[in-house]
Amino acid sequence: MTKQPFTGRLHTPLLIALAVILVVVIPLLNSLGIISNFTLGNWGKYLCYGILAISIDLLWGYTGLLCLGQALFFTLGGYMMGMHLMRMIGGDGVPTFLSMVGRTEWPSFFLPFSSFPFALLMMVVVPGMLAYVFGYLAFRSRIKGVYFSILTQALTYGAALLFFRNELLMGGNNGFTDFRTLLGFSLREDSTKRWLYIATALLLVLVVWGCKWLTHSRFGLIQRAIRDSENRVLFSGYATANFKLFIFVISAVIASLAGALFVPQVGIINPSEMDTSKSLEAVVWVALGGRGTIVGPVIGAISVNALKSWASVGATADFWPLMLGGAFVLVVLFMPKGMVGLPAQIQGYITRVSRNKSAAESPSSEPTPEATKP
Amino acid sequence: MAGLLTQIWARFALGVVMTVLFCLSDVCAQSSPADLSVRQVIAAAVSAPNSAEQRSLILSLKSRPTAEAVTWFDQWKGGSIFLYKDPAGGVTPVLLTGAAGPDGSLATLKLVDESPFLAADGTAIRINPKTIEAAETDSGLRKAMKEVSDLVALADPDLEKRIRAIQDSAIGQKPEKLPALLELRKTEKNPKAIRTLEESIAIIQLRSAKSEERLAACEILAKLKSLPAYDTIKAILAEAEKSKDLPMIAASKRALKAIDSHIARIDAAGTAFRGLSLGSVLLVVAIGLAITFGLMGIINMAHGEFIAVGAYTAYVIQNIFGSGLKLSPFGMSLSLPGMHLGDQGANLYFVVAIPASFLMAALVGILLERSVIQYLYKRPLESLLATWGISLVMQQILKFTFGSNNVQVSSPAWLSGNWTVNDIVFGWNRVFVIGFAILIILVTWLVLNKTSLGLLIRAVMQNRNMAACMGVRTERVNTMTFAFGCGLAGLAGAFLSQIGNVGPSMGQLYIVDSFMTVVVGGVGNIMGTVISALGIGIADQSLQQYLGNPVIGKILVLAAIILFLQWRPAGLFVTRSRSLD
Repeated sequence: MTKQPFTGRLHTPLLIALAVILVVVIPLLNSLGIISNFTLGNWGKYLCYGILAISIDLLWGYTGLLCLGQALFFTLGGYMMGMHLMRMIGGDGVPTFLSMVGRTEWPSFFLPFSSFPFALLMMVVVPGMLAYVFGYLAFRSRIKGVYFSILTQALTYGAALLFFRNELLMGGNNGFTDFRTLLGFSLREDSTKRWLYIATALLLVLVVWGCKWLTHSRFGLIQRAIRDSENRVLFSGYATANFKLFIFVISAVIASLAGALFVPQVGIINPSEMDTSKSLEAVVWVALGGRGTIVGPVIGAISVNALKSWASVGATADFWPLMLGGAFVLVVLFMPKGMVGLPAQIQGYITRVSRNKSAAESPSSEPTPEATKP
Repeated sequence: MAGLLTQIWARFALGVVMTVLFCLSDVCAQSSPADLSVRQVIAAAVSAPNSAEQRSLILSLKSRPTAEAVTWFDQWKGGSIFLYKDPAGGVTPVLLTGAAGPDGSLATLKLVDESPFLAADGTAIRINPKTIEAAETDSGLRKAMKEVSDLVALADPDLEKRIRAIQDSAIGQKPEKLPALLELRKTEKNPKAIRTLEESIAIIQLRSAKSEERLAACEILAKLKSLPAYDTIKAILAEAEKSKDLPMIAASKRALKAIDSHIARIDAAGTAFRGLSLGSVLLVVAIGLAITFGLMGIINMAHGEFIAVGAYTAYVIQNIFGSGLKLSPFGMSLSLPGMHLGDQGANLYFVVAIPASFLMAALVGILLERSVIQYLYKRPLESLLATWGISLVMQQILKFTFGSNNVQVSSPAWLSGNWTVNDIVFGWNRVFVIGFAILIILVTWLVLNKTSLGLLIRAVMQNRNMAACMGVRTERVNTMTFAFGCGLAGLAGAFLSQIGNVGPSMGQLYIVDSFMTVVVGGVGNIMGTVISALGIGIADQSLQQYLGNPVIGKILVLAAIILFLQWRPAGLFVTRSRSLD
């Protein structure tokens, strides 16, 4: 187990300070009018993506399972929230997505979503069950490595195909939109938006704290042992499948909650969020930020998305995929530990160069000598 | 018995017509139409004083249906035959020809023998088409002409046309068409035409006045399993049920049942064929991946973009053979000259495009392997991520170069069209896909198993370090293998350009499917890929046919694959090894 970068003594106070800034200071500045509502809304989205990124990192960075289906869980959570919000619109008759397929009444599975606690429960249960069933099947037959990635991608692809159908009564192509109220508060009010932001930031802080605790517990130790050599853990008498299943379900639920908070902030949910490329994009954030750390993915998600909102408007819009793709290749090749690992990487490089100099040898031109499989 | 009666009746009717014609022609043309040539009859008909006479003259041509008559009918109906009325009151049908003179007049030819039309003094008569009226037709005449031209079509020497005419004559079940068909039945030699004839005759006889004739026709149709008769028999059944015609009800039900089971068989065969061709498409698409992923362990998410590279190569080659192409990659303007080869170019370009797309994709593959992939052989998960980044970049470059809309790649003539055996339609392009897939598998197998390069590839893939120790230049072999895999993807692209859309993100459509195919087949085994591609293709098409819904079928196939991997986690064919991790 290598020492994680950023786990110094300074670490905990710094994180607490960051948490206070995110949860208290930013909304405060917003209510004073220093930070615009638009910026706050953007940050709400970034933080949701940050939570999604942590859920990926929990699987990939800590357990060695690259799941390409996290966007599915994220979207499922969003749909659960969307169903509640659709029920809350009120008014006569049914929304267009139902009348379009000839329905004059709400389908029965929509009815309990009027209650927010039920919707909340479903945000946990539906993705959790899906992850449990899929994970049980996959881990029981020891599907791992790239096979797991490809299968989760296929699962997401199949689900997206399904959600695009109008017959599923989940809005088809257009999904759910035009939301009005959440828990009695109008979604158009600035204060509601601020509260949503605070909820997101709180969830992020909770998830970071929870994951930190989890990964530093005995459980986290086994988790990382599975990542590094699953067979040895297996031979030591641990049922690795159960550990993986547990972490898979946990990360599905985390992604789902992030999606549920994402939907009222952007005001729409549709199946294009499940696209296979969305999951891969989220993996990019993790890789860029630094996997195998808790804050790395959040930093990656925020920076990539902030860059994206800056770059994908105007003249640079066409070049955004080039930049993203290119940056990704470079990170994979040269920065296996991401942005968070960069200081340590540079330090290691400098010490090596100086050692080589002292040994009167020419400096190595190998770019990534440490770029081995974690 | 019934046939004989009809024939006798037909003979009799013809005799009557002929007798009438003889009398008529004696009056007006002083010779019988049977002695005249076809064009003489037409000329006589055009200039005949009333339409009854015109009709009978035209109908007289039924005894010798020739294509010549039809061309004259067309001229007549098209208004190219004119009536010249001389001052004495005589009417001469003429044709106008040659270049227009200064006053707009044209040279005239007599319709009868196409000799120049001369005035009494021997000078050629020139006529301005505006001053003369064309010979007209009425509905009765056109009907008579149709009767003759139907007969002409039935006698057409071209088999395809003849069969189509036979089929057409059954439409509407008009008993007056029957004699001609029966006549033809006696002389027809081609078995396919005979079958169609029997079918058409039976369909018409379903409306016969005699019940035993109707029943016999029903039996024949049941025996022939005639698809065109299906709706007619259904109508007959409904009528029979109304009139409580019990034997007819039983017979038509029997016939419908026979045809139904035939349709089911055709559908099953059609589904199997479509499944086979879809499987072949999957195979062609996945075989490159079976090499880069299966053998080398590189998760090439850019595989789809190599397919697109191949497809765009086909597009560029097509334009070079045609009228050239203007591209504007990254704001630069690049114009490729065209060879303007016309139709031949459109047919031949594909032959050149196949190897060109292989080479192009292989070249891009070499570039990619040298620049990125070679650092990732030990890190499969990272190769997945890096190649995904590359796929984004490649898509964007394709968009910049060719625009973000789909481009048109036309199929050569020899790939369009189809081939019908026993009512099952085989599209040429689908047959070609299957043939092409077989060829690619064969070539891949030969390269891997019978060449020294193949030997090196297999050695390096099995144990890279050991191969290096034995003096194999593993780096070079890696590059060659990757290029080979990418080249196969390019081939697939050239191929998909014939059956699907060509656009910058076309590869995305196939990427999940092709990974599925390789995973199900078992990594590192070409044979497994073949079987899984065909299996997935046939399962997909059968489910589509059965459920009538392509998306649900596809989702079920995905679910089935996930469950299948429970049973065989390493795919169909497992590469056994004692190594762990």
